[in-house]
Formats: sequence, C-alpha cells, structure tokens
Amino acid sequence: MKKYLFVTKNSLAEYFTYRLNFVLWRVRVVISVLITFFLWQTIYSGRREIFNYNQSQMMTYVILLSFISAVVMSTQTFRVAEEINSGSLSNFLIRPLSYFRFNLSRDLADKIINIIFATIEVPLIILIFRPPFFWQTNPLNLILFFFSLVLSTLLFFEISMLLSLIGFWSREVWAPRFIFFILIAFLAGTYFPLDIVPAPLYSFLKLLPFTYLVFFPLRIYLGGVSVSFMATGLAVSSSWIFVLYFIMRKVWRNGLKIYTAEGK
Amino acid sequence: MTILLKYFRVWWLMTSHSIQMFFVSRLGALLFLSGKIMRFIFFFGFLLLLFTKTKTFAGYDLNQVLLFYFTFNLIDSATQMLFREVYRFRYYIVSGNFDMLLVKPVNPLFRSLFGWTDILDLITLGPFILMIIFVLTKIPAISFGHLFVYFALIINSMLLATSFHIMVLSLAVMTTEIDHAIMIYRDVVGMGKLPIDIYKEPLRSLITFVIPVGLMMTFPVKALLGVLNFRLVLYTFIFTLTLLFLSINFWNYSLKKYTSASS
Repeated sequence: MKKYLFVTKNSLAEYFTYRLNFVLWRVRVVISVLITFFLWQTIYSGRREIFNYNQSQMMTYVILLSFISAVVMSTQTFRVAEEINSGSLSNFLIRPLSYFRFNLSRDLADKIINIIFATIEVPLIILIFRPPFFWQTNPLNLILFFFSLVLSTLLFFEISMLLSLIGFWSREVWAPRFIFFILIAFLAGTYFPLDIVPAPLYSFLKLLPFTYLVFFPLRIYLGGVSVSFMATGLAVSSSWIFVLYFIMRKVWRNGLKIYTAEGK
Repeated sequence: MTILLKYFRVWWLMTSHSIQMFFVSRLGALLFLSGKIMRFIFFFGFLLLLFTKTKTFAGYDLNQVLLFYFTFNLIDSATQMLFREVYRFRYYIVSGNFDMLLVKPVNPLFRSLFGWTDILDLITLGPFILMIIFVLTKIPAISFGHLFVYFALIINSMLLATSFHIMVLSLAVMTTEIDHAIMIYRDVVGMGKLPIDIYKEPLRSLITFVIPVGLMMTFPVKALLGVLNFRLVLYTFIFTLTLLFLSINFWNYSLKKYTSASS
C-alpha cells in the first residue's frame, strides 16, 4: 500500500514542476463552465422554469459541473497508451506492483489537485456571479451523491483505461479518445441535464454508462427524484462497473500476449 | 509578386505533405472527422431542442441563432485548417528543432503558422458554407450591402485569428512551459458560438473590446442582420490592424529571446 502512496506523492510533485500548465488547464475548465452558465442564464431571463428545472436547480447543475469533472474525469490513464506504444510499459511490468493500482494511484494525485482547485473555483464563481444556488440538505441525497461520485470515478477509470489499451493493437490512440470526449461532453450531461431530451431518447441514454458519469450524481444532488430512480441508477452504474472491469482485465491479458515492447 | 508566388508554392508543398499524411493514418483521420461532425450535430440538436421551449434567444430567432453558430463554425474551421501547425509548435521549441526552421530560406513565422494544413477542417468548410447559404434564404431583408460587410468582417476575423496565433507562437518561444495557450484561445473563442449578447456586463465588454471574441464571431453576423452601426465596423478594422501590428512585433521580440534550448 505504501508504494502506491509514493506513486501518488510523486505524481503530485510532477504537477508542481509544471505549475503554470496546470493553472492554465483550470482556466480552461472555468471558461467552459462560464459559457454554459451564461447560456442558461440567458435562457432563464424572464422565465421561472424550463424543461422542468427552475433557475436555481439549473445554475447549481452548471456550477457543480466543475467540481464533478474534477472528481470524476481528472485522469492520467491516457499515459498508458503512450507507455504501450513507446515500450516503456515493460518498466512497469517488471516491477513488483499492480499496473492498475499504479494507475489508480496516479489518478488519485490528479484528482486531489483538481479537487483542491475546484473547491476554490466553485465558491468564487458563486461569490462573483451570485447565481441562485441550491444547497442540498437532505442527508440521504448527500450520502447517495457522494456514493454515486465514487461509482462514476471507477466507471470513468475503466472506460479511460480501455481506451488506452487500444494501444496494444493500434498506434491510433488519440482519435478514439477524441471521440470519447465529444460523446462525454453531450451524453454525460456536461452541456445540459439529460432528462430534458425527448423521453424515448432519455430512456435509451439511461442504459449507457456515460449518463452515470456526470448527470446521475448531479441529479441526485438536486433532489426531486424518486427512490426507485436512485436505486435503478446505482444498480445500472454498478453493473457497468462490473462488466467493464471484466472486459478491461480480458483486454489487458490479451494485449499483453501480443505486446512486443516496440521502441525499447 | 515573385515572393508571393514563392510562398504560395511553399504553402502548397507543405499542404501536399499534410494531405499525404492524412492518407497514411486514414482510420485516425476518419475518427477525428467523425468526432468533429458529432460535436457539431450535438450542439445543433441542443439549439433545436432549446427552441422548442422558447421563440427567441437573447432577442434572436432560431434562424438568426443558427446563422451565428454556422458562421462561428466556418471561421473556427478555416482558422484550424490554416494554422494547425501552431498546435505542434511547442515541440519545435522544447526539442530545439526550431533552429532548423530558422536556418531555412523561408520566413520562420510563415513556416510556423502554415506548416500544416488540416485537411479534415477543409472537408467541413463546404458543408458550413452551404448551411449558411440555406439559413440566409430563411432570413428576410438581407441587403447586398450587409452581405458585403459580412464577408469583409469574416476576412477581418481571419486576420484577428492570425494575430492570436502569432501571439501564441511568440509565447511558446518565450516560455516553454505554456502548453495550453492555444487551447485557452480555442475555449475563449468558443464563447462566440452564440451571440455575445447572452453574456452580462462587464464580461460582454471584456470579450468584445479586450479579448475580441465579439469582433471575430458576433460582429459579422450582426452586420449581416443590420444591427451593427458603422462606427463599430470601423472600430473592428482598426482594432484588427493594430493587433496584427502588435503581434508581429511581439513575434520579432520573442525571437530575440529564443535560447535554442535542448538543441
């Protein structure tokens, strides 16, 4: 366990080497949140409710996106593909550690530093723009919100690892990731809550894993959803985590069989 | 004239190389293209969905909002098509390979800006132009004069984009640490996907007169719709020329600071 803590510590140290780079990354996150924020603020001018969301709920949804993205989507797993393609994966294979736990520890560093920044940014956005913000006080919703965040984080880790494992078979690793992030931007609910789309489409989206990355935790936070909605959502996201875990292990094993340490 | 012809030949040569590279990694290129199309369609769908609940958005109807969105995509794609090399420029600086560009008998700024033409963005330009023409037929009372100013302002937007890209290149020469500068430019410019009227003051003034997203993306369409006064059109041209002048000077200044690290 101690060795993985050192991985996290070293990854944090890497961030402090390229501080300006990281700050600029957070600037990008804030800009994207502000674009969505102002878009919805304009839509709500003169209206109390739209798509069954009142202004306070929608603004909270948009602002918390920054925090959720920091927890769920901050990752270093894209480096796995580079390590496979460059052959430096061999350096990890001969070490007495689990490559998956190693990556989880590396991701942990990413998440810690992103969360620290997000917890500064979110209050700042609230203070500067003074939007109507919804504070959830129901303990059940808060507990399930944090629990769903843990599930979303695991789900994202597995999807991102799977994308990187493509590196065993192809050098085209950035294009699938590019498409994935475009899918995430819309199908995970980073532009708008998914339940505003027509009902048949929403029913379909609920079957996909993307829905449980951003929309589902936020929907639980905002409340006003039935217990069955929360239970079904947690069951579907847990199922995806199990299914993807086995797929990830299988792909990893098959990948290692054809891995030739090319480049080393 | 001879110099212009020489640079056109160089650009054409570099563009042919880019196209050849496109055919080397066909699958990746197709996936990237699909991603770009998906991104466009998703946001387009979102706008259509939005207009099922509202008739106007910041005072504009659906066709007008679509015109803003399509024009943004046209300018954005044209910019990316021409200046894709800027995204790879940091590598030249960090590795010291920029030295190789400096010794060539071609202006290093020209080489750094136009070294890579993105064929994928070129492919998307045609459909964007067709969509703009289609939506224009749905908007009444567009005069020839307004159309002329619209074209002039789009060319002006390209010059503004050029200035920004020159500044990003200069920043990369001066500080190797900046990796996200071009992406920040993209994000900020992305604010012009919709009319900047949606942003509240002082942000609206900031992204109009300081970071000229409004001048680049919103003003051409506003001029076309006849809601932009002549003084602002004039201001846009003067601002662009000033920024271009400053960015070139910044580039020259940054070259003096180049240390040829890692070479």
